[in-house]
Formats: sequence, C-alpha cells, structure tokens
Amino acid sequence: MTATYKVSYVVRGEDHPGAILNMDHAPQVGEHVHIGEREFTVVEVLELIPSRDEFHFLHATVKAG
Amino acid sequence: MSDLETVLRRAELFEGLTPEEFEKISALCREQRCLAGETITRQGAGGDSLYVVCDGFVEVSLSGPEPDMSPRTVVHLGRGQIFGEMALVDQGPRSATVRSITDHTVVQAIDRQAFMRLCEEDHHLGYVVMRNMAADLSFKLRHRNLTGR
Repeated sequence: MTATYKVSYVVRGEDHPGAILNMDHAPQVGEHVHIGEREFTVVEVLELIPSRDEFHFLHATVKAG
Repeated sequence: MSDLETVLRRAELFEGLTPEEFEKISALCREQRCLAGETITRQGAGGDSLYVVCDGFVEVSLSGPEPDMSPRTVVHLGRGQIFGEMALVDQGPRSATVRSITDHTVVQAIDRQAFMRLCEEDHHLGYVVMRNMAADLSFKLRHRNLTGR
C-alpha cells in the first residue's frame, strides 16, 4: 500500500474553519491546494502526530491565494 | 482491486483490516452523490449511517443553543474523512449538520445496524475500526484546537 498523508489544514489570516483531507503526497511550502472551491498556498508543514504504518499525520498552515 | 476498495483503503478508518475483513465492510457501502448545498445529515435528527468522503468536500456546521443563532462551520472534510461516527457510537441524535460544498461530492454510507452487527461478529474487525474511529475523533479535536473554533 502507498503512503497516505492525512492533513489538518489551518487557514491563516481569516475566519475559516480549515479542512482535513487525505493526500497522496505530503504538502510542500509554496504548493497550491484546493479546499472546497477555493485555492490556498501552503506556508508551513509540521508533523502533528507520529506516523502509523502507511499513514502520516500532518498539520499545514495555508493562506489565501 | 475495485475503485471502491482503492478509495476505502486510503481511509484511516479501515487501516489494519485483513483483505477478508475489508471485503465485508465494502459489501455494506452504498454510494451517494451530492451537489453543492445538499444536506447529508441534519443536527438533531436521527442517524442510521456512517459516511466516508470519497471525493469532493463537505462542510460540518453547528447550530447554537438559541434558535436565532446562526450556524457556525467548524471544519471542511475532504477525501478519506468520515462523519456521522458520533451517532454510530452513542446512538444519539446527529451532533452536526453536514452538507456538500462541491458539485462532485461522493460519499459512501454504511448502515449503522449492519456495521455494528459486523463488529459483534468479527471482534478483530470491530477492535480495529473502533480504534481507528477513536484516533479520527482525536485528530478532529487536534484540528479544532489548532483552528481555535
């Protein structure tokens, strides 16, 4: 089985609830991600909790644009 | 491996199941396609299914205790995430309203009674899924702590 990255996205600078979703790769700083119909830019990525088997648990901060 | 299996295998809820156990779970799934704005569960209503998001996004919102308070969105959930698990575990009413926010949202619904019966019949399956469900609830709490909502 290939790795799965479960990511908690938190939006910086606005009142937004953020999102949780699975990715097939770890988000990278500068990468653009879609949450719903909006696009955001990743500004920081951290490991939230240790990985378990093929699952990795990350926290990413994003901003609009 | 079918498309359904491919998607479900990447949901944390089913991580650690044997191929045979996975087939039993897959047999309970019922696909539901939703348009943007379509309500899937409503806060306070009865709940008889657990859902897995396979594509698109859903919005989870809570209404305040006063009728005139507007609902507050607490999180958006995308591919691989589950919702409806609280009503499945405690058999209480739905804790939140969940609606699709994209036109191509696809979820798999798993009937609560059939699912709980499967957990009773196969204790390894039941243990793995309940452990993963607890881990998922923990992850959601961490997310809420990070967003401060």
